[in-house]
Amino acid sequence: MMRRLQGSETSVQNVQAARAVQTVREPLGSSNVLNELNALNGLNASKALVEIQAVSKSFHKAVKENTTEIKALSDVSLSVRENEFISIIGPSGCGKTTLLKMIDGLIPYDSGKIVINGKPVTAPGPDRAVVFQSFALLPWRTVLANVEFSLELRQLSKEERTKTARDYLKRVGLADFEHHYPHELSGGMQQRAGLARALAVNPAILLMDEPFGAVDAQTRQLLQEELLELWQRERKTVIFVTHSMDEAVYLSDRVVVMTPRPGKVAEILDVPLPRPRVSEQVRRHVKFVDLTNYIWESLKRAMENHH
Amino acid sequence: MLWEIAGRAMDSTLIPPLSQIAAAWWKLFSSGKLLANLSMSLTTLAVGFLLAVVVGVILGLLMGRFRAVEHFLDLYVNALMSAPTTAFVPVLILWFGLGVESRIAVVFLFAVFVIIINTMTGVKQVDSVLVEMARSFGAKEREIFFKIILPAALPAIMAGLRLGMGRAVKGMVTAEMLLTLTGIGAMIMQYGSAFATDALFAVILTVLLVALITMKAVQWLDHRLTGWKAEIAIE
Repeated sequence: MMRRLQGSETSVQNVQAARAVQTVREPLGSSNVLNELNALNGLNASKALVEIQAVSKSFHKAVKENTTEIKALSDVSLSVRENEFISIIGPSGCGKTTLLKMIDGLIPYDSGKIVINGKPVTAPGPDRAVVFQSFALLPWRTVLANVEFSLELRQLSKEERTKTARDYLKRVGLADFEHHYPHELSGGMQQRAGLARALAVNPAILLMDEPFGAVDAQTRQLLQEELLELWQRERKTVIFVTHSMDEAVYLSDRVVVMTPRPGKVAEILDVPLPRPRVSEQVRRHVKFVDLTNYIWESLKRAMENHH
Repeated sequence: MLWEIAGRAMDSTLIPPLSQIAAAWWKLFSSGKLLANLSMSLTTLAVGFLLAVVVGVILGLLMGRFRAVEHFLDLYVNALMSAPTTAFVPVLILWFGLGVESRIAVVFLFAVFVIIINTMTGVKQVDSVLVEMARSFGAKEREIFFKIILPAALPAIMAGLRLGMGRAVKGMVTAEMLLTLTGIGAMIMQYGSAFATDALFAVILTVLLVALITMKAVQWLDHRLTGWKAEIAIE
């Protein structure tokens, strides 16, 4: 687990700078930073759209006659504001993907409550759409037909489906590839199609499960920039699961740091960086560097306490 | 060429030269005897195989999708799959008599199990992420089945059909030789026991041709339906 985190792009400077970060910790959590953030993003008026209240989840694993209980999530509470971009970061196996699936309604939670727009989540709904880490495109369908898939389930006419799908393919820069099959496209382009499919149903909440985890580093950065642009234009609420600190800080309004299994919320950090964020500038911004270092420290502490 | 030389050099009764076989084939063909028998055999083949496809695919889909159905049928399917189907011929005679029904039943039994097992395997191997994706976008069970499971399992189903077709041809000839002497099987028995080896080889080559053509037909269908898979395999 440690090795995996250290292997990520940002790790070298993080390890070196880790000790110097201790001093930054105080101001980041303080309320004047929060005010600064709210002033920057104009989020003061935004209300909570997703309320996660003391949610726990265990899986039962049967080994011969014995069933062992694996506690995946323990007492997780989180409130996501409308139009907010929030990232959930944590070591592998901390249950962040499980949490995302529970918000989508794909798997039930054992205790606690997840409420969206005042209604408890019981099943997937039209207000949410998922972008999957492995793209989850149908290999027997063209890119266009893949985007149409999400619309077919919503009883739209054929013309309407094609028109909407083309529109979203254009927005993600895939207009010229609508007749290609997924295996003819690069990973980055496949995920653009996955993003178009999710956006096409016009969900209020976009749930992204390590969406750029399976593409190369350069493409990843490009996709991050494009996602921010799209988000700025479409104004969706995004819940973004990642294990890249860099990615979390660059994209998000807030970053939720989770502990190893059973996953708990270690802390929730505001990202006081102005928007629109230009990748090259933001990544060199002192607050960016401090914050990624701080998250690294926080993750490390969470993992040390765990062992 | 080698065959021709061997045939001429050795006893022509055991290995007739190709030219002699061709002549015998032409005689059988032009007299209409070959076509009459062939059409009878092919009707048996077609009916038996189609029944096997319908039953095999439906059972395979159910076994792949529902664990209870699999538990219930798995043992029987596996036992019948590995058992020599010819052993059931006496039972079939008891059940269906000596008519065309019995021959269709033999073709069916030869083909059906490999289709069941391939279909079931295909369904079980469907990427669970795709099913999850569909469910996430609000797909109901019926939509998951027709839009995800069925197309994803299609390459495996078609492979089962191809194997099943090969077995069906075997079943057809076996039935015609063991049950009632009709069609192509009867011709083989008749010429075999009369030492009319040129005619015998002509009929056997016709059977090979039929097997080849039917296999090609299934392959063509496979390619039409699952072209996307073939392209992936080439890469």
